[in-house]
Amino acid sequence: MMTNKKIWAAMAFAASAVCIAPQAATAGKSNDTLTWATASEVDTIDLYYQNLREVVIMAHQMCDTLMHRDPRTGEYKPLLAESFKWADDKTLEFKLRHGVKFHNGKELNAEDVAYTFNHARQPDSGVVTRLLVDWIENVEAVSPDTVRFKAKAPTPAAIEYLSGITPVYPKGHYDNAPSVPGAAGKMRRDYGAVVPMCTGPYKVKEFKPGSSVTLVKNTDYFKGSPKGQPSIGTLVYRTIPDTETQVAELVTGGLDWIWGVPPENAKQLASMENVTVKAAPTTRISFLSLDAAGRSGDTPMKKQQVREAVAYAIDRKAISRDLVGEGSEPLVSMCYPAQFGCSTDVKDYPYNPQKAKDLLKQAGFPDGFEIPLYAYRDRPYTEAVANYLRAVGIKTDLRFLQWKALRGPLQEGKVAMAHLSWGSQGVLDASASVSNYFEGSVDDYARDEEVKKWLDAADSTIDPDKRKELYGKALKKIADKAYFVPLFSYGRTYAFNKELDIPVTPDELAHFYLAKWK
Amino acid sequence: MLRFLLRRLLMTVLVIAVTSVVAFSLVHLSGDPAAAMAGEGASPADVESVRKTYGFDRPLPEQYVTWVKRVFKGDFGRSHYLRASVAQVLADHAPITITLGALAIVFAVLLSIPLGVLAALYPNTLVDRLAVGLAVGGQAVPSFLFALLLIYIFGVMLRVLPISGSGSWTHFVLPAVALGYYATPAIMRLTRSGMLDALQSDHVRTARAYGLPAWRVIIKHALRHAMIPVVSLIAVQLGFMLGGSIVIETVFALKGVGYLAWQSIQRSDIEVIQAILLLIAAAYALLTLAADVLNGVIDPRIRVG
Repeated sequence: MMTNKKIWAAMAFAASAVCIAPQAATAGKSNDTLTWATASEVDTIDLYYQNLREVVIMAHQMCDTLMHRDPRTGEYKPLLAESFKWADDKTLEFKLRHGVKFHNGKELNAEDVAYTFNHARQPDSGVVTRLLVDWIENVEAVSPDTVRFKAKAPTPAAIEYLSGITPVYPKGHYDNAPSVPGAAGKMRRDYGAVVPMCTGPYKVKEFKPGSSVTLVKNTDYFKGSPKGQPSIGTLVYRTIPDTETQVAELVTGGLDWIWGVPPENAKQLASMENVTVKAAPTTRISFLSLDAAGRSGDTPMKKQQVREAVAYAIDRKAISRDLVGEGSEPLVSMCYPAQFGCSTDVKDYPYNPQKAKDLLKQAGFPDGFEIPLYAYRDRPYTEAVANYLRAVGIKTDLRFLQWKALRGPLQEGKVAMAHLSWGSQGVLDASASVSNYFEGSVDDYARDEEVKKWLDAADSTIDPDKRKELYGKALKKIADKAYFVPLFSYGRTYAFNKELDIPVTPDELAHFYLAKWK
Repeated sequence: MLRFLLRRLLMTVLVIAVTSVVAFSLVHLSGDPAAAMAGEGASPADVESVRKTYGFDRPLPEQYVTWVKRVFKGDFGRSHYLRASVAQVLADHAPITITLGALAIVFAVLLSIPLGVLAALYPNTLVDRLAVGLAVGGQAVPSFLFALLLIYIFGVMLRVLPISGSGSWTHFVLPAVALGYYATPAIMRLTRSGMLDALQSDHVRTARAYGLPAWRVIIKHALRHAMIPVVSLIAVQLGFMLGGSIVIETVFALKGVGYLAWQSIQRSDIEVIQAILLLIAAAYALLTLAADVLNGVIDPRIRVG
């Protein structure tokens, strides 16, 4: 039988358990540590080998790039460069800034820049976002402070590619990358396993793959950087898969910053006195891909009137406002409006179900028709689209797949109608969006030669005004013919510690180097 | 006995082999792993290069045989996403699931057995109803909801326990309670019915007649008797928990095996999925084998038939 002594011992143990329990307050102003969390598991923090948004955010804190796009104004400013010039259509020359040091104390020079890009541009380098480096023919260190990029073709978007998303590492950075077993018993180099060595406002203190990343302020950060000097001492990233758990940690002070707060939580969080909630747009756009070219056979989508009917049938404003939530905007053209060259001066299709029905009748479908609708992301949005289409007589057979399953049939030209989304890989240039779908690639379901010609020219003309005009023409024709139906841009809702002063920017990033405690 | 053992052992090996073939095919049928790895912005050439690098261009049976050969050498391959050997990845995740599972089963036992005994001692009274109600709640309330309730009460309102992560033993308290509560109803009901039978039995009545103290009769004579089926049930529940709980591990941000399996499926990390499925299948098959053998030892009719 349990004696009194034992009972007391048990109670003392229980009491001590409660006392030992650490208070969650590891984050916050009091110890100058900003803790942020998202649901992603981060396997590497090298942006060349992982294009998760979280890693893009980390790269902005740790690393510098030749150019910098000011997230508040959208203006391009030299960062590691001091200045640049196009020597000719295919030659881009940078003068480097003096006195910039890597976190290991080594001074930056042109050899480092040439090394980084000559590594990344190799077809077998394993770099994930090929778009950013595929344009490079060669990079050459002309003198210690001059570096010359040779492009394969005129690449006006190069300045964008070299802003924020292509960090510069010291020469020989990947020399010690581990060799790992690859296919067929052959060994391959795992470059992504090397922890980045950069020049940025924060230094890596600790990286635990899949769980956390700790960055500390770089007190030697070069003066005169357009990024300014970092203020907060330590940045800690954690993976917390569940949104509700993130919210609970934020409310109790275990976290200072989260994103992707669903609309239903945003209101509730905004009413908390220690939390700020703000929404901002992102580069991800949502649209319907329609098979105007008839790649998948003789479907109703080949008829312009049918495609116009689809465009008129859907209330994009309502979906964007009520379903996607704050930060989302309805779209009229096939690009993200903040992208260079993204003209919104095109034919609009305001919600008009009657007109949609009339157009279907003219096209020879007075009773509508049935068609499979493929989708892979955010099922509620697709279901809303399907309901609007049903209301005018287009009965969709929803086929919701994972991306890895949809990609094959989509790119092989077997899909007459799909609800897709595209993030432009974060690139703020129309070449990353509209050109992706209308330049004759596997994703092009319009196959319009004229549009392709304009876009090819726009992508390879250096003169900004000429480019704008060409993109404008292409976007106008795409809208007139209703090749695709642009729906809305995604928004993101950010929630953070009220004591944190941080700009919320439309680039789907967090610029913690700009953050301060109030 | 030897023939029986061999037959059972052969069955176990067959089950594991079939599971691994089915798992391998399903993972490949669920979509192009190369496309998943290359990501959304990948061009057809990129996907092709991934396919070659990882050997997905070779016929499925060939890939499977290569994999089996490696496993026999003790090499589970490499996680393409986590950039570590699968053995390393499992070594990182398994301790968390094992700790969680063990704590959860301890909690479930500590809650359900006293409840079951109480319910049996006072059948069809308010005590019984309350005990049954408490236990049945474990089955009725979805585990994610119960987990969030725990977070809200102990993490947000009272602020006595950490909400997420696995930094210290206190981090395991809420998840163990949430996971363990789910196993409570079955154990509690079996204890209750076992106790009801035991309390009616002759030896308990005799013990009472001897004038032994009530607690001694209940614990030593009745409960011990009632526990035999309960112990096997607890073993099964433990096996279930060691498979990892995706929901509990996700809600409490614990990097356990269940969460790892789910994430690996999402990113087509085939080598990891294969290894986890193989281990879970092996664990189940071996537990079943152990139970069969035990039963065979206890009851000769089983091993002959």
